[in-house]
Amino acid sequence: MSEIGNDGVISYELKEFKLFEPLFKWARKKSLWIVAFCTGCGGIEIPPLATARYDFERFGIMPNPSPRMGDLFLITGYVTPKTLKRIIITYEMMQDPKYILAHGSCPINGGVYWDSYNVVKQLDRYIPVDVAIAGCMPRPEAVMDGIMEMMRRIEDGTADGWKRYRENYEYYRRNQDELFGEGWREKEARRWLAWI
Amino acid sequence: MIDWKLILEVIGILLYATFMGFIFMGIERKAMARIQRRVGPPLYQPIIDTLKLLGKKESISHGFIYDFGPVFALGASIAALLFIPIANFQLFSSNADLIVVAYLLEVPMLGIMLGAMSSGNPFSAVGVQRGLLTMVAMQLPYGLALIALIQHWGTFKLSEIVALQGAQGWSVTVPALLIAMIVFDIVFQAMLGLEPFDIITAPAEISMGPMVEYGGKHAAILFTQHAVQIFAETAFFAVLFLGGASNLLELLIKQIAVLFIAIFVASIYPRFTIDQAAKFFWKWPTILGIIAVLLTV
Ligand code: SF4
Repeated sequence: MSEIGNDGVISYELKEFKLFEPLFKWARKKSLWIVAFCTGCGGIEIPPLATARYDFERFGIMPNPSPRMGDLFLITGYVTPKTLKRIIITYEMMQDPKYILAHGSCPINGGVYWDSYNVVKQLDRYIPVDVAIAGCMPRPEAVMDGIMEMMRRIEDGTADGWKRYRENYEYYRRNQDELFGEGWREKEARRWLAWI
Repeated sequence: MIDWKLILEVIGILLYATFMGFIFMGIERKAMARIQRRVGPPLYQPIIDTLKLLGKKESISHGFIYDFGPVFALGASIAALLFIPIANFQLFSSNADLIVVAYLLEVPMLGIMLGAMSSGNPFSAVGVQRGLLTMVAMQLPYGLALIALIQHWGTFKLSEIVALQGAQGWSVTVPALLIAMIVFDIVFQAMLGLEPFDIITAPAEISMGPMVEYGGKHAAILFTQHAVQIFAETAFFAVLFLGGASNLLELLIKQIAVLFIAIFVASIYPRFTIDQAAKFFWKWPTILGIIAVLLTV
């Protein structure tokens, strides 16, 4: 499905359905399913977004509990190394194309936890963030604006975090291993599935 | 000889049923949103969702059975649809098509479960277990409602039931069959997977149950299957109890009426746990069903 072209850029377009690509792009923009994995302080900002006041279902956004079907991954606040492991595993479970929206100052630069020993300072080094919303904590309006920005970027094709993750997998992998130590995936898997 | 008219009709009905099924799913989401005082998605939102799922760049597979499950489910739904007399089209017919349809409508659930079990996800396993238990629980009232209906009209053929209802008034006007319809409606709620019987896919508990591992194109097939299924089930209800229909518009009005009853019930009641659901099915609907059967003897 993906192959390296003459110019060294990987192309992920489906060859057979190239004609329908604009249609799919529109559908992707209009139907973002959220992976309900709420970290940090921001999880509490999602209920007002989903309920009567800001109702994001108008735009086809739907909370979806299963990462396999999700498109939009919300990182709603500070990320500790322990959460980051889960975030990476969930992110890799999701199927391309997938997008990450980071809420608040914490995923950008650590926010109020800038000198904490146990908070990941710059999330973008470990997984590709497409849109980041500054603020501590951004109000639902700001989150809505971030989602709109995400839709705009999906339409003009600049929300390419999933492509960056594939192309620069070594870079992200190195940073992750630096933080958790080599072989953390296997160790983590063995904790839950003791027989492998 | 190839019967071109039949083939064209089958294709036409399938396209119509899929499209209307998607619109029904949209109506369901929109009506729920309006009841919760939200604006809600546009009516064609399920179509967009399915397109998006089809446009995913990768689909993870867990082996042959995993791929086969959704296709099997879709096939069973389509087969059930083709046996139902939809307006003036009765595409396939046999001597006992009521029983064929009644049980073909249950098969898709088995197909999904087959696929889900092979994914090896523990949530799928819990979902499948709940699904099978619900199916076992609802068989008894479901069967009783159908027996009452068959005893009253004295035939197994759906087209004859429609014709008899046209001559002697709808099934609901007969007191015994009104009770049977209430029973059927309760079972219907479970067949559509709506609250209070959405134990199988309980999104907040076991994260979509059997569907948890499905994504991308598999999920798109499951969505299409659900659309066909919802159309077939509402049409089946309309044919059995609301006198069938002589044209597609009449059928559509009856289907939407049936759908709205299901939506209103679903948006009022919270979810049963699995033991409560089984107990409930074996108590009230069963008692009502037995009364209905006794009244029609
Ligand atoms: S930015 Fe503020 S509100 Fe958000 S996670 Fe950090 S400390 Fe909490």
